[in-house]
Amino acid sequence: MIGRRLLQKRVWNSGRRWIFPSSPPSPVPAEYCKRHFSTHVLAAFSSPSDNPINLKIPYTENKCKFFSSNAVADLPTNGIVDVPLAQTGEGIAECELLKWFVHEGDEVDEFQPLCEVQSDKATIEITSRYKGRVAQLLHVPGSIVKVGETLLKMDVEENRIPPVVLGNLENEKHTGGVLSTPVVRNLAKEHGININEVQGSGTDSRVLKEDILKYAAQKDILEDPSFTATADLGEPLHGEMSSSQVSAEVSEHYEDTIVRLRGFQRTMVKTMSMAAKVPHFHYVEEIDCDALAELKASFQTNNSEPGIKFTFLPILIKSLSMALNKYPMVNSCFNEESVEVILRGSHNIGIAMATPFGLVVPNIKNVQSLSILEITKELSRLQQLALDNKLSPDDISGGTITLSNIGAIGGKFGAPIVNLPEVAIIAMGRIQKLPRVADDGDIYSASIMTVNIGADHRVLDGATVARFCNEWKRFIEKPELLMLHMK
Amino acid sequence: MNLMRFKGLPILKQLHIEEQLLRTSSENWCIINDGTNDPTIVMGVSGKPAELLEIESVLRDQVPVIRRFTGGGTVIVDPGTIFVTFICNKEAVPDLQPYPRPIMSWSSSLYSKVFQGIGDFHLRENDYVFGNHKFGGNAQSITKTKWIHHTSFLWDFDVRNMAYLKLPKRAPAYRSARGHLDFICRLKDYMSRSTFIDKTVEAARTQFLLRSFELGTIENCSETEFRPSTRFLTNEELEAAAVAGQ
Repeated sequence: MIGRRLLQKRVWNSGRRWIFPSSPPSPVPAEYCKRHFSTHVLAAFSSPSDNPINLKIPYTENKCKFFSSNAVADLPTNGIVDVPLAQTGEGIAECELLKWFVHEGDEVDEFQPLCEVQSDKATIEITSRYKGRVAQLLHVPGSIVKVGETLLKMDVEENRIPPVVLGNLENEKHTGGVLSTPVVRNLAKEHGININEVQGSGTDSRVLKEDILKYAAQKDILEDPSFTATADLGEPLHGEMSSSQVSAEVSEHYEDTIVRLRGFQRTMVKTMSMAAKVPHFHYVEEIDCDALAELKASFQTNNSEPGIKFTFLPILIKSLSMALNKYPMVNSCFNEESVEVILRGSHNIGIAMATPFGLVVPNIKNVQSLSILEITKELSRLQQLALDNKLSPDDISGGTITLSNIGAIGGKFGAPIVNLPEVAIIAMGRIQKLPRVADDGDIYSASIMTVNIGADHRVLDGATVARFCNEWKRFIEKPELLMLHMK
Repeated sequence: MNLMRFKGLPILKQLHIEEQLLRTSSENWCIINDGTNDPTIVMGVSGKPAELLEIESVLRDQVPVIRRFTGGGTVIVDPGTIFVTFICNKEAVPDLQPYPRPIMSWSSSLYSKVFQGIGDFHLRENDYVFGNHKFGGNAQSITKTKWIHHTSFLWDFDVRNMAYLKLPKRAPAYRSARGHLDFICRLKDYMSRSTFIDKTVEAARTQFLLRSFELGTIENCSETEFRPSTRFLTNEELEAAAVAGQ
């Protein structure tokens, strides 16, 4: 369908997100599934006319704030739902129910504690994922409940299904040979998925909501014909749609096509709207990379370890960390509700990568404690995992600042959007040979890289970012200064 | 993080304070109790006395038995036991997921600093061990907004006291059916009390800004009627459990 392709192209231009296949489902309240994702707003290069389009890897769990709002399922929750005992930690297969905090018939709010369970050494409060009414408690205190087993049934508000469906709960939907609840079946229908094709991951191969989402996401990606497999670093973004191919096809087909945004795209709408509320400012600077090029060449020539390829990026990453030591505010995260800034102790520097599966931002943890060689190896490891679509949840969460090397693809620089809850993002353009004027008036050529730092103006002011950038620039232009801090 | 230090505080009082702070305070706390007063048995929230205790001996010798508010196993504590507790908001430790295993890992990395170069310290399943001998037991409780992780360290113990505890049915795999005395070891063989406590405070200081706190301040500030669930089991309850267990 042309329309779909058009939209795909547009979505591609605004960046594709990458989905980690084996993870728990979409917005789920904190106490349940181990959260594997962090929300990333990736560099978006806005076209001059603006409306910065962002890339997002949805899902939540970050300290700073808005995961709770993200926890509202963007999927319909109709009728009576089975609330299972969700994963409370690796290797824990079952818990003992200690006590209920609610009774049948009680109205409960989202996040209200429902019960307390015990697993091994810990007692854990389980809070409600939904707002609704307790329909039926399925276990008594003292009983052992397996992870995934239903704890209670809840009558969730915003019923959109006529009562007749609610009444059919007892027959656990064996039609078509696939076990699932009415909610999950509706979800599949909404996504246009044949539920029988979905691999169920619940008990007795039951199809769960997360299975539908995973299937839908994979289907989305696989069906996209406009995917170009670029293995290099950087943002696969262009300010506007470019292909003349597209316009040719458009001219043959004038009808509108409606494409419902769902799954990750739908979450992106929400998270982008939130990111749009952040007042950004952008700071642009040029950095002379002659010394950087020499250093890289030296590393390569004197390389004693085979299989390691030296690039500019690890040196830029380490220099960035050095500059962050002096300006920790740039490596922080902002909690809007408590109006607090958390100065993050670790420098977990995220690197945007384009992969055949979409855009992803893994981060290198604790750069402040790593050598350039260690950073090179870790970067290579993450790149390989990204290409194989095997990044772990830990790899893509916990970032404190993001680097986007759009220059690997092209462009002078972009105007990136901060990757919440971080407060700064740096887009680096291509290194270009440009003429410079020396003090004595002579013209010489220098390798110049233009960078654009996008910053959250609620937390950072121009002076701080300017000074921070000067510090970083100093380390790049005079890398010998890194030795001053060598331990 | 508020730091409270005690010496010889009765374990029931300590648990009441901890439970109150977990349920009613919005701050972060570290509590260190350098030994309790009398030997006391402390069971986890769902412990069954008949399975875990030699009830006859316990009743005969009038050993107090407490059921605490956190999960986990049974210990017998006395002046040789050092207690360290962390009560934190979910955001207190950056990047820490509020679930049992991550919290357990975080705590073990903190104690790794304390025991650096000493013995072969690590977290084994849910216990702190030197080699394969346990010297610290852990328990946790995780609520909507906070979590507590508390540890009882066997700086020293009286062999006779161990006789009140049965071999637990649920035991970690590495225990390999060893009896109490083959399974546990004494921290006093590795470190003095004051060194251990000082190093623990230092390790906490690397992650938090510590402020000393006096107990009196909490009691005065408490406005809500808080009733802790941690309590002594009565003789009647123990007797009934003994009968039911037969």
